[in-house]
This record gives sequence, C-alpha cells and structure tokens, in this order.
Amino acid sequence: MSSITIDTRASRKVRELLKFLLENGKIDAALTMRRIPENNSYDLALITDASNINEAVPLIPVMTVNAGQVLSSISTSGKKIAVVLKPCELRAFVELVKRERGSFENLLTISHTCGGVFPLDLVEKGQIEELIPKYEKTISKGEIPVNTRDTCRACEHFIPMNADITVSVAGECESEKGCMMYLNTEKAEEFAEGFAGERSEQKFDPSVLQKTLNARLAEKEKLFASMTASGPGLDQLVDTFGKCVGCHGSNSVCPICYCLLCDFESANFDYNLPYFEEHLSRRGALRLPPDTIFFHLGRLTHMSFSCVGCGMCSDVCPVGIPVAAVFKKTGEKTAALFDYVPGRDAEESIPVMVYKEEEFSDIG
Amino acid sequence: MTDSERKGAVLPAAKEPGDAVLDFLRLAITKKLADAVILPMKVPSGDSYAWILMNDISLLDDAVPIAATMPVQGAKALRSLTRKGPGNLTVIAVMRPCEIRAAIELSKLGQVHPDNLILATYDCPGAVQLQKYVDDPAGSEKRFAEMLQKGKPDNSAKPVCHICEDFSLFDSDLHFGYLGLPDKEMLVIAGSDKGLELLEELGLASAEDLSVWEKGIDQLKADRIKARKSAFKETEAQLRGFDGLLSVFANCIGCHNCQSACPICYCRLCYFDSETAEQNPDALITAASKRGGISLPVDRIMFHTGRMVHMSLSCVSCGQCSDACPVSIPVAGAFSYVADQTQRTFEYTAGRNDGDPLPLRQFRKSELPGVHELVKDADAEVSSHE
Amino acid sequence: MKKEFTPRITSFLCKWCSYTGADLAGTARLQYPTSIIPIQVMCSSRVDPVFLIKAFLNGSDGVLIGGCHPGDCHYETGNYHARRRFAIVRSVFESLGLESERLKLSWISASEGPKFARVANEYTEEIMKLGENPTRKSIFL
Repeated sequence: MSSITIDTRASRKVRELLKFLLENGKIDAALTMRRIPENNSYDLALITDASNINEAVPLIPVMTVNAGQVLSSISTSGKKIAVVLKPCELRAFVELVKRERGSFENLLTISHTCGGVFPLDLVEKGQIEELIPKYEKTISKGEIPVNTRDTCRACEHFIPMNADITVSVAGECESEKGCMMYLNTEKAEEFAEGFAGERSEQKFDPSVLQKTLNARLAEKEKLFASMTASGPGLDQLVDTFGKCVGCHGSNSVCPICYCLLCDFESANFDYNLPYFEEHLSRRGALRLPPDTIFFHLGRLTHMSFSCVGCGMCSDVCPVGIPVAAVFKKTGEKTAALFDYVPGRDAEESIPVMVYKEEEFSDIG
Repeated sequence: MTDSERKGAVLPAAKEPGDAVLDFLRLAITKKLADAVILPMKVPSGDSYAWILMNDISLLDDAVPIAATMPVQGAKALRSLTRKGPGNLTVIAVMRPCEIRAAIELSKLGQVHPDNLILATYDCPGAVQLQKYVDDPAGSEKRFAEMLQKGKPDNSAKPVCHICEDFSLFDSDLHFGYLGLPDKEMLVIAGSDKGLELLEELGLASAEDLSVWEKGIDQLKADRIKARKSAFKETEAQLRGFDGLLSVFANCIGCHNCQSACPICYCRLCYFDSETAEQNPDALITAASKRGGISLPVDRIMFHTGRMVHMSLSCVSCGQCSDACPVSIPVAGAFSYVADQTQRTFEYTAGRNDGDPLPLRQFRKSELPGVHELVKDADAEVSSHE
Repeated sequence: MKKEFTPRITSFLCKWCSYTGADLAGTARLQYPTSIIPIQVMCSSRVDPVFLIKAFLNGSDGVLIGGCHPGDCHYETGNYHARRRFAIVRSVFESLGLESERLKLSWISASEGPKFARVANEYTEEIMKLGENPTRKSIFL
C-alpha cells in the first residue's frame, strides 16, 4: 500500500480528494463536516455535487453529531459514499455494523490522526475559527490542546483503526515535512488512482505519535483520578448524577444506543400508585420522576463495553454532568473483561453475543 | 371559580415566603388532610433541585417550596406519579404557575390524573436559567432572593419569564400570594372547591380583602405584558420566513432534548424518532442529489415545525426547552411566539381549568373564517385554471 | 430495642435448576433463612442487568442469580450469557465503588437442595456482615 505526500493544509487536500472522487464518478456522495458561512456554524453534510465541496471542512475539530450514528442510516443505500470520520466516529460505526445497523460495503472510509474536538458550547459561541491556528500548532507538536473535550484529551485511540485512508495530522504534520495521506487498503488504492500527488511506499508509523500517546495516557489517568476525588460509592454516584434532569439526551446522541425506544422510556418503567405508596412507607420520600440513577447504571451495563468515548453525551447534558468521563472509565473496565476494544474489528462479535465455556471461573 | 367567589386566608407570618408555605404543609399533613407532598429539594451536590414526593414530615425542613430554578418541569413529576390513574393518596404539590398549567394540559391529554392531587402555586418572580444556576448556585440563590422580593425576573432568569403574564394564577386549587403585600405577609387563596374545603378544614382565618394583593399583581403584570409585546415583535422579525427559521435553528444538532424536556410532549416514542419518520437511505441520497448536498441528520427543521404543530396549542411557555438545549437555541422564545398565535386562533389559553376542551378535540360547524377565505381563494384559483 | 436486621435478598432462580433446587431444599426440610425472596425465571439469561440494578436500588440487601451449572443449561448456552452479563454488572459496580458483594451468581442444579440451603445461609451471613443496603434510605435515586 502506498502513501501520498500532501502539504500542511491537510484539510484542503482531503477536500481535493473528495472533489476528485465526485468529479470522476468514483463516488456518488461524500459525507463530511461543512462550514455554513452565513451562520458561522458547522454541520455534517452529505454532498453530491462537486461544486459544493468547497464548503467542506473535513478535518475541522468539531463534532455536532457522531457521524458514525448518522452513517448507519445511509450506508446501505447501495450508492458509493466517501466518508470522512474522526477515529471515534469510525469506531462507533464499526460497533453499529456489528449490530447490523450499517455496512462498509459501499463506503470509502477516510480518517485522520485526531487532536480532539472542541465542545459544542465553543462552537455555538462561534469561537472555532480563532482557536484553530493554535490548535493545529499544538497537535503538530504532539501536545494536547487545552480546550478540547475532556474525553478527547484523555483519548488514546486517536489513530484510526480500519480506515481505508489515513491522513496524518497529529504529531508528524510539521511545516517542512508536509502531511501524509496513507492508502491502507486495496479499495483506497483503487479509488485514489489518478489522484495527483507524490507517491511513496511509506507506511503509517504509529511510533511517531508515541509522545502524543504518552501525553494522552497521562491525561487519562488524571481524568479518572479526578472522578473519585470525593470517594467512590453510592454517595459519589448520587453526587455525580443526582442533578440529572432525565432528558435522556446522553442516550439520544450516543452512537451506540441505537434502540428506537430505550427500555427506560418504555412502559416497563411506568409505575402504578402502589409502587409510590410502598416507597413512601419504606423511605418516607421518593424522587419524581423516579429512576434517575437507574437510567445511567442501566445504560452503563447495556452499552459501556462498546463506548468509544466520543464525548457527545457530556456535550449535550444541560446540567454539565461528566457523563462521557464516567462511561469511558467504566467502559474500559467492562471491555477489558473480554479483551475487547470497541471499534477495533468489524468481524469481532460484541461481548454479550458470544461466550467462552471456560471463563470467569470466580463466578458461580 | 369566578373572581368574586375567591376566598383567601391569612397565613401566620414567617421569615420567608417559602417558610410560610412549609408551615402550611406541615399543618395539612399533621391534621391528616394530605398524605404526602411534592416539593423541590436540593440535590446532595448542592447545585440543583429535584422533585421529592414525601410523607416524612421531618424532610420538610430540607425542602425549598419556592426554588430558584426548575430543573425538571413539575408536570412531568406529576405525570410519573399519576399516569396510570389517580390512586388513593391525597398529595399536595407546590409548583410554579407554568408547571401547574402544564399539569392541567396533561390532565386534558389524559396523562395526569389530578383527582387526588391538590395543585398549589405561588406568585412566581421567574426562574433562574438552569445552566446559570448549576454554574453558580450560591450567586443564583442570592439573585433569586432579590427576584422574589421584587416580584420581577432579572437577567439570570429565563427569557420567557420576562414575558410571562400568568405568573400568578388562580387555576390551581391553592395559591400562595405575597407580591404587593406588606413584608412577611402571605395569603393562601382557594382556586377550587377542593382548595376551599382544605382551607376550611384547616380552620385558617379568612381574609376579607384581596384587593391589595390583586393590585400589586396587576402592576407587575402590566410590565410583563409590555415586555411580551416587544419580545414577540423581535421574535417575529427573527423567525419570519424560511431563512429566518433556518437561522434561528441553525445550530440544532438534532438531539431532541427540547422535546424530552417539554412537559407537553408526553409521547413515549416521538413521531420524529419513530421508524415512520426514518428516511430510507436511497431517499436520502436522492434528496441530496437534488440539492447538491444535504445537512445531516435530516429533518431538523421538520422536527421543530412539526413539534410546533403538534403541541403549541398546549404550550405553557415554561422555557424548559431552551434550558435543555446544548447549543443555546432560543427554542422557548420561538415556541412561545408561535403558541401565542395558534392558541389565539382558537381563543384558547393553555393551562386554564375552565372546562375548555383542547381545541383539536372539538369543532364548531361555523368557525375559523380565515381558513374559509383561504379555501375560497384556492377554489377560485382551481376554477380559473379549468 | 433495636430491631434486628433481616436482610432481603432478591433471588432470580432458573426454573429448571436452581428453583427446583430450592424446592428440593424445602421438601427435604433443610433450613434456610427467610431473607431469600425467590423469583422464578425461565433461564438465568432472562435476567437483564437492569433487573439486578433495580433490585439493588430498590433496597435489596443482596441480589442472587441461580442458574444451571455450565454445560447443563436447559437452553444449552443461556447460563454462559448470564455469566458474561453478570461479569459486566459486577465490573460496573466495582468501577463506581458500589458494593459488588451485594450481587451473587451461583450454579445450583435441580438435585442440589443441600447446596441451595448452604448458599442461602452463607450469602445471608455475608450480607448480614455488610449490613443494610444504603440505597434503602437514599431518596435521590
């Protein structure tokens, strides 16, 4: 597999690639982030007309919606689509493919080494453009931009897994050297055939990002340690999730939570009055609506092993609960039980669908 | 109950309005006139409130009947309690007027069964925006104390509070009034037979004259009506036309938080989250091809306008949608403006307990002349083509 | 006088093995404490993680799942899945610092009446040592 040297404005080169693919009929559509100049905002867009590709900002450190989630509703169209995804979005999509919510068949996946994304409140304040130069400088040095999502700063999976094309942005994209675009698969070679650029046989070398990795791991340890500051246990849990307003926004923006109707919104969780009477007689009081902590604990057991740590849940929480940090921390543990890494391999089954006869000998 | 039938009682003086309410509730529980109460209580982390259903009288000490912010719309708490039927518990719920109004709408929609509920409300100065409260609970409490004293919202309050005419309302069973009254004085006024009965059974001294309080309220109301007019004008200018709509909702990420925070949107599975509304992948690509590109997730404007059509007749302008929006879209301002128009069309006011059924549950053979004009125009156009 | 603490252990017992085992314990007149509140399920894999959590948050002092021994599942593989799910819930509890000792899974076959009585006794004792579940008193759940 080969690679293409691109200049430091990697975003432009990806845009050119998308344009090339559209113009030459190699794809029917491109899924990418887009800037909406009149509103100073961004969205995820499916672009079919090459003349509209100028609006694309494929590598912008903004995630308005986890693109993996959106992709699950269009990937089976039978049309060829090139998709630019952040590594966690790609991993989320892999998790969805395992759940039969999408297919790679007609997709060309383009991803990049990721410096993390800015929280939505910075996006909404229109501050992104001014933050980008410093952001790019920081990540090219292998350091962590300060004002990105907390789970981004603590993310060790910033190198795409399974992407057809990897654009190196973080760490090695220094001015004199230029960035690289790695064609990882036959599919990538096929699609990029005829695309201008100096080719070489260079392969992506993750070791250049060791410094970034170390920084991220240190940041992760700090984040996880900060979460148990006030001591673990039920009180800590109530402290963290006690102010939850029950909007279930964390669930609706979660790419893994694909259920049309979440169990916690179903009639299973409507109670008759005797239920409340019983609680009154036992505890003297009960929160209304009930099941606030239950919802989060339930979601942790249902999906945490597939959590890709994208951070959407924290961003949409109206009361600033660090949902993503809790899910990332807990999810790493539940995934580790099965030696599982969410999004690593679409052929892998999700842990609850399979079993080994000999395992967990301490249970039972 | 008409204005002249209103009866009130004077509550014994207490430090703060909230304390007088608590004393009243203690009395009601001790005299076994209520089995339980629903009140806000500070959550253990201290930066928000939660609705607590309680019958343990000692817990009342920690309750805050008139809370600075409203994290969960009270009508949702009442819905979770009585959705499946009224039950046998007599429960007094003390909530903001917009929460009571939402509960009344939900009872018309069959989602709240108020038979054994005693809905109590109070003169509401407004509520601090949720995010502002969470960011600075102590400062917000201080500001709210000032709001409470003046009876007016300040700029930490939700924008819709500034334009709320129904901040003091009688369509509850009980109303605690204190605005415009001399310091530390509080009235409790019955708004229904249920409320009157309770007051009589409690043996509270009745107040002959409500006029001082009524005058105070009317003065404050005049300000709000003025603010409402100018706010609606502003919203109209922003929202008008498709471009206006697009720009107001430009940052929408499609999380549907506004819908889940909305007390009126009670559907378990919103139409816009259902399979019916899901676009099939081919249709999406086709739609994109027609325009050269399409913004994802699709139907975000459809969702908001759809919701306006579905629920604005019952919108009580509580502002929960704006508080829940992660990208600070002024959802509540837009919905409040639209609701004002749709409710006016049917001469309906959401949240009134006057026996008016929901507009879409009834019709008159001759009504809505404006629509007839539209139909006539359309007919004329058709015949001119023939 | 302070009322003695009687734990409540919500027990999800598989119809084919553990529930029958409990029956056998009863017909054999083996003593086991009243703390066990049995709920019959068709298979240990019918126990969704949220069942355990709901029981825990509702104030159960212990939650027990009883299933067929590995390899003996009436539906061939249900108990293997149950074991995985149990491992997940336990891990979530451990991550959050909740008392995972309040959750237990035990393999008890239809013929193991004595084992059922032993597990019931031992687990009850264990829970007695842990004391009352703090969720019983919490009102902010």
